[in-house]
Amino acid sequence: MSHGVLDDIEKCMDSGWTDGLPVIPPYGSLVDPMLEALGWQASDVVGVIAEQSIKVRAEQVAATAVMAGCKPGYAPVLRALAQAILDPLFNVSGVEVTTGGASVLVIVSGPVVAALDFEHEANAMGGANRRINATVGRFAQMVRLFCGRGGGVLESHGTIGHPGRLSFCIAEHPETAWGPYHTQFGLAAEASAVTIMASEGPNSCNNHYSSTGAGILDTIGDCMMHYGQTAWYYRSSGFLVAIAPDHMDLVKRDFTREAARQYLYENARRQTDDLVKVGRIAIPPLEFAEVEFGAMRTPLKFIEQLSFVECGATGGRFSAVVPRWVGSRNVVCKQIEGL
Amino acid sequence: MSKPMTEKLPAQRLMSCGEVSCEVLVNPIPRPEPEPIRITLKPKVPRVTLLDHKKPNSLAIMQFARQILQERGIEVSERILQKDDASTAMPAALLASLSQEPGLVLCGVSD
Repeated sequence: MSHGVLDDIEKCMDSGWTDGLPVIPPYGSLVDPMLEALGWQASDVVGVIAEQSIKVRAEQVAATAVMAGCKPGYAPVLRALAQAILDPLFNVSGVEVTTGGASVLVIVSGPVVAALDFEHEANAMGGANRRINATVGRFAQMVRLFCGRGGGVLESHGTIGHPGRLSFCIAEHPETAWGPYHTQFGLAAEASAVTIMASEGPNSCNNHYSSTGAGILDTIGDCMMHYGQTAWYYRSSGFLVAIAPDHMDLVKRDFTREAARQYLYENARRQTDDLVKVGRIAIPPLEFAEVEFGAMRTPLKFIEQLSFVECGATGGRFSAVVPRWVGSRNVVCKQIEGL
Repeated sequence: MSKPMTEKLPAQRLMSCGEVSCEVLVNPIPRPEPEPIRITLKPKVPRVTLLDHKKPNSLAIMQFARQILQERGIEVSERILQKDDASTAMPAALLASLSQEPGLVLCGVSD
């Protein structure tokens, strides 16, 4: 690498063209092949953020992909991912500026996982040290950062944030017990897909001694219902549950995906009055919150707010719960074309 | 002291210069292309309308603000308007209605 390139990296860092880490400078000679792989012309409008009066053009998306360290070969995933992030249902500006410190959680599922060699076993929730996982996850956060701040006039108000705001990408096992992740959102099992949700950081769930699926689900449910969960009051978002193979071996013996979801919906509840006592529910509560004093309360407004992904390595009895950001009500799932 | 907003904005244009020529780097950051904004800076009538944006504690703060303003003899609309959702933009109908308000509109503060 020449000193000129190092100078350009520093220039990007000093000029606000960064997520805080060094970037690949977006030279035209790198952006052009990325654009071609994405199948867009430079001035094509990929998405519109109406409330910010912003049109996001293809060359900006391609430059971001280059800067994040993505290869043009990742383009089928990046194309669907950019469209998902800029889908108005996702509310990218809200995700960027919220006090909730949310990230864009990316879930890749289907044949694309093996085809592009995503890591889906060791450290599948993050820190897998695989280029495609790291850079696709980084690309998503950089699109959020670059497009969600009104061209730089807005600031993030994230109170505490989490490391996923730099990169957060999960690839699901190509072979699953309950069917690919995206089938929970209406896509065919044989499809490849990228799914996004705005999320907080993952909570690890350890259970090494239960011999039943119910024991594992009770552990996961307990993780969903600690006092600090954001979901208790508005209940607008939901949870992603990531089940690793050793836990899945137990759970799948006794539960289908639908039965597991029903089990958690019915059992992961706590007394409303206790939530009031610790200040988790406003008095008087908003009508929208549907607070029923004296009743057991679920952190889910609808059972569909809970989804399952199968990932992680064998040899450890861990799973994880990822709370979604309360202000983004929608999961956006897009089919990946052109593999 | 924090920098003025104009100094914090990301660069509009960066050049990479070698020994014989320069190349423009592709800007990854989209900029707003807004219609001209027309706002009235001075209320036409001495009245305050309150808008709760539904973040935690916003309504309580608005109710307290209404009480203080009323104690000081300022006319305040009894009804506190509410936005549907703290995390999304204000619905166009509500925004259009507020834009016709001749008094001062005070929006939600929180958390």
